[in-house]
Amino acid sequence: MSDLRIGIASGTTGTDAVAIDDRDRLLATASVQAAGDVRGAIAAAIRAIVADDAVVPGAVRWVVLGSGQALEGVAAVQGVRKVAVVRVGGPLTLSVPPLATWPSALRDAVSAGEIVVAGGSEYDGRAMVALDEDAIARFLDGVGDEVQAIAISGVFAPVSPEHELAAADLVRRKLGNLVHVSLSHEIGSIGLLERENATVLNAALGGAAERLAVAVRATLAEVGIDAELFFAQNDGTLMVVEHALRFPALMVASGPGTTIRGAAHLSGVGDAVVVAVGATTSYVGALVNGIPRERTGPTEIAGVRTSLRLPDVHRVPTGDATLAGAVEDAKAAQPAGPLVVVGRGQWLVPDRMDGVSEVIRPRDGEFAQAIGAAVGSVSGQFARICLNRPDTRRTVLEEVRTAAIARAIDAGAHPDTVAVVEVDEAPLTYLFHPALRIRVRAAGPCW
Amino acid sequence: MLHLDASNLPALARGCSVLGAGGGGDPGLGVVMAAEAIKRHGVVTVVELDDLDEAAWLMPCGMIGAPTIATERIWGGDEGTVLREVFEDLHGGQVAALMCFQIGGANGLLPVSWAARCGLPLLDADGMGRAFSELQQQAMHVAGVSASPVALTDGRGNTIVLRTADDVWAGRLAREVAASLGGVCAAAICGMRAGRARHAVVEGSVSLALRLGAALRAKGLGGVLDALGSVLAATLLIEGRIVDLERRAGDETLTGSVTVRAGGGPAGMRQLRLEMRNEYMLAFEDGALRAAVPDLICVLATESGTPIAAEELRYGQGVAVVAAPAPAIWHSGPGLALVGPRAFGYAVDYAPVDGGMEAHV
Repeated sequence: MSDLRIGIASGTTGTDAVAIDDRDRLLATASVQAAGDVRGAIAAAIRAIVADDAVVPGAVRWVVLGSGQALEGVAAVQGVRKVAVVRVGGPLTLSVPPLATWPSALRDAVSAGEIVVAGGSEYDGRAMVALDEDAIARFLDGVGDEVQAIAISGVFAPVSPEHELAAADLVRRKLGNLVHVSLSHEIGSIGLLERENATVLNAALGGAAERLAVAVRATLAEVGIDAELFFAQNDGTLMVVEHALRFPALMVASGPGTTIRGAAHLSGVGDAVVVAVGATTSYVGALVNGIPRERTGPTEIAGVRTSLRLPDVHRVPTGDATLAGAVEDAKAAQPAGPLVVVGRGQWLVPDRMDGVSEVIRPRDGEFAQAIGAAVGSVSGQFARICLNRPDTRRTVLEEVRTAAIARAIDAGAHPDTVAVVEVDEAPLTYLFHPALRIRVRAAGPCW
Repeated sequence: MLHLDASNLPALARGCSVLGAGGGGDPGLGVVMAAEAIKRHGVVTVVELDDLDEAAWLMPCGMIGAPTIATERIWGGDEGTVLREVFEDLHGGQVAALMCFQIGGANGLLPVSWAARCGLPLLDADGMGRAFSELQQQAMHVAGVSASPVALTDGRGNTIVLRTADDVWAGRLAREVAASLGGVCAAAICGMRAGRARHAVVEGSVSLALRLGAALRAKGLGGVLDALGSVLAATLLIEGRIVDLERRAGDETLTGSVTVRAGGGPAGMRQLRLEMRNEYMLAFEDGALRAAVPDLICVLATESGTPIAAEELRYGQGVAVVAAPAPAIWHSGPGLALVGPRAFGYAVDYAPVDGGMEAHV
């Protein structure tokens, strides 16, 4: 019997599930209405898909969940963890305190207190000043029992994470291993405020991710599925549940990424503009070399500017006349390839549009998001900043490649087949010594 | 009277991005810093030279060094206040207003937060009308106002004063100091009285950036181009896609070139090549120079009309390239000697955008 994969796409108005065999053939589909209870809808979708005769629960080896639920928790300021926010950067960085730009309701819900302590590194990796461990210890003594997670962000941690690691050690010595610790050098790139925001969000989201994982596992056990559970990341690739619980920020907005990858899979096209027409929201994105094109610069999550990398999509209300303009803009930026239309409301997109030579409506396109989740590969990425000297660059590039591969394996990629799929080196301007940001993405199948 | 507060800082930042001509650093951090400073210390008043006494002291200021490093260190907060104290010691008079020495990029916003913290107004002027990489590339230099004495501070207790032989030395030494302080520092240069500033600064820069920022809210690229045309007298050079991109990060500079290709059609295929050196410097089509520094060359994203910095360009991106005349002071003989193409090592002479008339700015 063929090994099966189940992909689940959980949205605000409905949840879809698909079952796919090891030759990527679609065996079964199911759809349920959400009715305000996302976890309930996911459970109902799982029950519905295994009710299909083509799906033998014992044959299901992998289950992938693409959910925006964690993000909804943040937007609704519900179910977030209380986070103690530690910034390592004094006496610099004081011009903007931690969380200064957050919407106040979210800040009140998330923050268990903030502190800026002396420490951090120079851009070349030397320590700026000694890390003020006493200040961190006093802060932890004062924040109280409500703290469920710690977020630690150090100046130039992507160059030298030593002070973040030392601060994390101190936290574990004082609070034990059970409290979640998010470290900024594992979350984002250069730009302290955006990286710190992403790190605090990551720490805050762990609870929602855990509740979701527990609920899905319970349903899977109930229907007799003993499978590895994966979550879809923002870029549409996958990570195992254990990795997802450490890095929930990587899945706050996985819908567009999985949908665009699903559209690529169904249409067989590597370069395209993708339009996904959902029940309430439609979005336009781009597929470049088989990968959803990312936004450059900061991204906004629940009103917070972050360094998280998200697909570059333009959202419009479904049925809105501005969709045509959004498609035209996307075509201008990505002229290669056809327009691929997926989603339930795909009939709303006409066959003839300005600047569009070919419209493809792949079969089963209404399930593009769930299918994208089911067929995704597992990935991990890592970034560092280093001086652009040949010897330094070589050494750091090798370290980053190794770290990205380790990340991908930790995210569930099989060690025998994981490979580096993207190396991005960008120079930093107006530096006294030329510096580089090196970013590597590794990916592979989970089998 | 014009005020800067949380409501118009984003517009100011958008305008400063355009005036950065691809360089000068992202003003995003400056918006957050200024908003924070204004929240604590009150709004910043923007004054004109006419509002000031002839003998009033002006403090041109901003950051020197790497904007990228500044986004990581995000300043201690007291830099502007420290500069003011040192400046007043050096010149023996009280500062009446701060002034951006560079309106383009991050330096158009940083002095706003310092002005709020000092409780002083900001002059509606700057030293460049755009962004340049060298400290001495100032309107004040052309007018004979010395950069020296230069006050520098790093936000963690280090303050340095440079008394230099000339402005080139001031630029060189200030960079060395910034390097020693970790790659970026705050600086006050070209201390002068308001009476001396009359023909030595680029007037109206802050209000121009605000108008530009408001105009940039226009929908889509078409709206943005119309707005840039009316506010800056900008010309569209090409609209197309990046088909070649070469960037080399050398000491202190990002150099390279980018080629934008416009699709076929009856007019045939066209290609525009941009040379960059931190900022966009020259635009060539079929070997002919279409625009040159000191005129502003800006690259906008086709999708949104948002300005794209030289370090953010990506292969395959849809872009529009526009050029706009620089402030008149840069078209003078001494102006072109300081910031014309040859000053940046290019073997071409300056020519107005598409050989057209010079601006009446």
